[in-house]
Amino acid sequence: MSTVTEPPLAGNAAPSPGPAMRLRVSVRDFGTLIGLVLIVLVFAVLAPGFLTERNLLNILQQSSINACVALGMTLVIVSGGIDLSVGPVAALSAVLAASLMVAGAPPGLAILAGLALGAACGAVNGALICFGGLQPFIVTLGTLSTYRALALIATDGNPVFGVPRDFRAIVNGSLFGVPAPVLVVLVVAILAGLILRRTPFGEYLLAVGGNEEAAHIAGVPIALTKIGAYMLSGTLAALAALILVGRLGAAEPILGNLWELDAIAAAAIGGASLMGGKGSIVGTLLGAVILGAMRNGLTLMNVQAFYQLLATGLIILFAMLVDRFARGRA
Amino acid sequence: MPPAEPPRLHIHGLTKRFPGVTALADMTLTVRPGEVHALLGENGAGKSTLMKILSGVLKADEGSIAVDGEALTLRSPLAARRAGIAMIHQELQQVPELSVAQNMFLGRSLRRAGLFVDRARQEALAAEALAPLDPSIRPEAKVRSLTVAQRQIVEIARALLDKARIIAMDEPTSSLTPSEFERLAAVIAGLAARGVSIIYVSHKMDEVFKTCSRATIMRDGRRVGEVALAGTTEGAVVAMMVGRELAAAAHRSSVRPETVLSVRGLTAGTRVVEASFDLRRGEVLGIAGLIGAGRTELLRLIAGADRAESGTIAVNGRPLTRPGPRAAIAAGIGLVPEERKRDGIVPQRSMVANLALPSMARFAPRGLVRRRALRAEAARLLAEVNLRPMQIDRPIRLFSGGNQQKGIIARWIAAGSQILLFDEPTRGIDIGAKAEIYGLIERLAAEGKSVIVVSSELPELLRLSDRVLVMRQGRIAAELGRDALTEQAIVAHAVPQSVPRSGRAA
Repeated sequence: MSTVTEPPLAGNAAPSPGPAMRLRVSVRDFGTLIGLVLIVLVFAVLAPGFLTERNLLNILQQSSINACVALGMTLVIVSGGIDLSVGPVAALSAVLAASLMVAGAPPGLAILAGLALGAACGAVNGALICFGGLQPFIVTLGTLSTYRALALIATDGNPVFGVPRDFRAIVNGSLFGVPAPVLVVLVVAILAGLILRRTPFGEYLLAVGGNEEAAHIAGVPIALTKIGAYMLSGTLAALAALILVGRLGAAEPILGNLWELDAIAAAAIGGASLMGGKGSIVGTLLGAVILGAMRNGLTLMNVQAFYQLLATGLIILFAMLVDRFARGRA
Repeated sequence: MPPAEPPRLHIHGLTKRFPGVTALADMTLTVRPGEVHALLGENGAGKSTLMKILSGVLKADEGSIAVDGEALTLRSPLAARRAGIAMIHQELQQVPELSVAQNMFLGRSLRRAGLFVDRARQEALAAEALAPLDPSIRPEAKVRSLTVAQRQIVEIARALLDKARIIAMDEPTSSLTPSEFERLAAVIAGLAARGVSIIYVSHKMDEVFKTCSRATIMRDGRRVGEVALAGTTEGAVVAMMVGRELAAAAHRSSVRPETVLSVRGLTAGTRVVEASFDLRRGEVLGIAGLIGAGRTELLRLIAGADRAESGTIAVNGRPLTRPGPRAAIAAGIGLVPEERKRDGIVPQRSMVANLALPSMARFAPRGLVRRRALRAEAARLLAEVNLRPMQIDRPIRLFSGGNQQKGIIARWIAAGSQILLFDEPTRGIDIGAKAEIYGLIERLAAEGKSVIVVSSELPELLRLSDRVLVMRQGRIAAELGRDALTEQAIVAHAVPQSVPRSGRAA
């Protein structure tokens, strides 16, 4: 196995074909893909109805929410941080957007408000980390409770019902047979890939996560970079919440419970290093789909929820062990 | 083979291949009991591979290792330790929050009733092992509170607890002051007198000649020779190491009249106090002083890496108003730090990404990075600094120290820096690359860039500097022009007690 998973800044000396990001699949991403293929093959044999077009689209749709959160999480992890507060941020944004719509605001405005609140929550996380000098784990553990409490207080613990039909229609719509949430997440992933691989901000994320002190001396704006990562994570958590609200037709203040763990799992399976400085957008997407396919397949096989949880845990550990041994001991 | 007594260590025909390279080829090394034996070679010559095999971290493909005539297979670090081989690493492997005794017994603590750690006995044994080396180190002190030199002594004492017969030291003096080196040299001599054999890996020739009796010289994974150091010269040894004679180049001056950098009254606590000086275009300004004299701190203040409490920094007459590295970089200042791994490189990123870091905005005028332009320019600059291997997409951590350093220098050339601050530019860099770095610094100056070099190696300062500032306890204690520049003058001003308050020499 190669130890180099980081695609170079540009593929090779040959001229780049165009402005679009070329789909560069690294050795590590290829490994994740093989893992996904294996899981699909196993369920194709074991679970009747698994390998149908409808079910596969279903898996993608079910995975889209986690994928959306996990993409933001990947950017934060690459910067050397962690965002445990994504679930409550999602709940706050969902509650705000739903309440605005119920009060008669146009969906577009409500969506913008929800995303803005997510970004603001992320900015608070980032500011506490950069200017308060606290560990990302501690800060987002604190805001995990704080944001959740705010969502519960604002709603008295009750779900916001009555999300208008036109908003739900957007989320539940599809284009050429592909569900809207899947398309949205694809667009988000392409943007995230562009950010990570083609912008100075992406290079700064990798540098800050790879060696913060060296990045500082090399003139990387450390605080802006980190705050930017948490803002993106908050925004994407809010986007995932909006998708969920559209599907359910209501916004619950307890929405997003344990989202952070699924998101971290998807990123880690996809090759992100919790030490920072390393992560893959393609890998995270595949990681989210792996988790989704597992759950879907086990459900089709009528496996109890307890065992589904067990399978999820084992797949994470297995993926990490394979990763570790493929890279060799440090 | 020499007399009746078998050699302490006899390595024969050792070969180690990695995919694509042969790191060791038919390597031979013989160390006598109680001998201090230098292992010399450029980076990449195979010294670390040999050390790793000797400490049981790597396994050789072919060859034999014998200690006191007994053939060994070193399957693991534990096996090496049991065979009496101890390794003192360049970066000490200790737990700072634990005590000296706890560190010495790490992983093999003495127990009472098989359950509780017997601290008292550990500390007594630790004190016993430390006594002949440095009795001032208390076994119950936290390792965090010790100096690097003291930590090294702790490692040596730990090796003695293991009844080590061979102690290998990898660049043991890289962060020691001259007086600490003298202490270490005395400890090493004491160990040798007790019959312990020392393998001493270092780049510093003067130290090797002071400490060691014989040397084995390696090049390209092979032994190119074994010499008695008393019968040879530094020049001859270096020539064996690099395979050619290095010309001892004379100083070249490119100083021009304009002042580019003016530092006035720069102060940060007691680490840097009221530092004032000017730097001219094309000048190489050396900064000498003992470790802790405030040299690194001064460079970091100028580069914006740390914040000054008072004082001003002006570039081309314009004062820097905003704090932080970004403002300093925009003004044309670039820092090449001493601790490359900690402060210089983003290890897993490519050479080109590391090079581009301060210049990202220029390479992404409309938001997206223009990769072709970036790669073309990076390739040109890295070729100019003679990067080897010339693979700009390779992660920077896979390059040797000297080539990482070239990458950092190219980084600041790419950023258009006019003032380059070098902190110990050749620390941990092999002799061949050293000459290249000197050449680069001289070329930068000739091109009209201004350079500040902080160095503990006086020959380096004498070779490069047009002028030297000597720092002592945070202050600039003396300024020595080229005519007054001697090792004696620098030392006289650098050491606190030996100097009457003479102020500034010419």
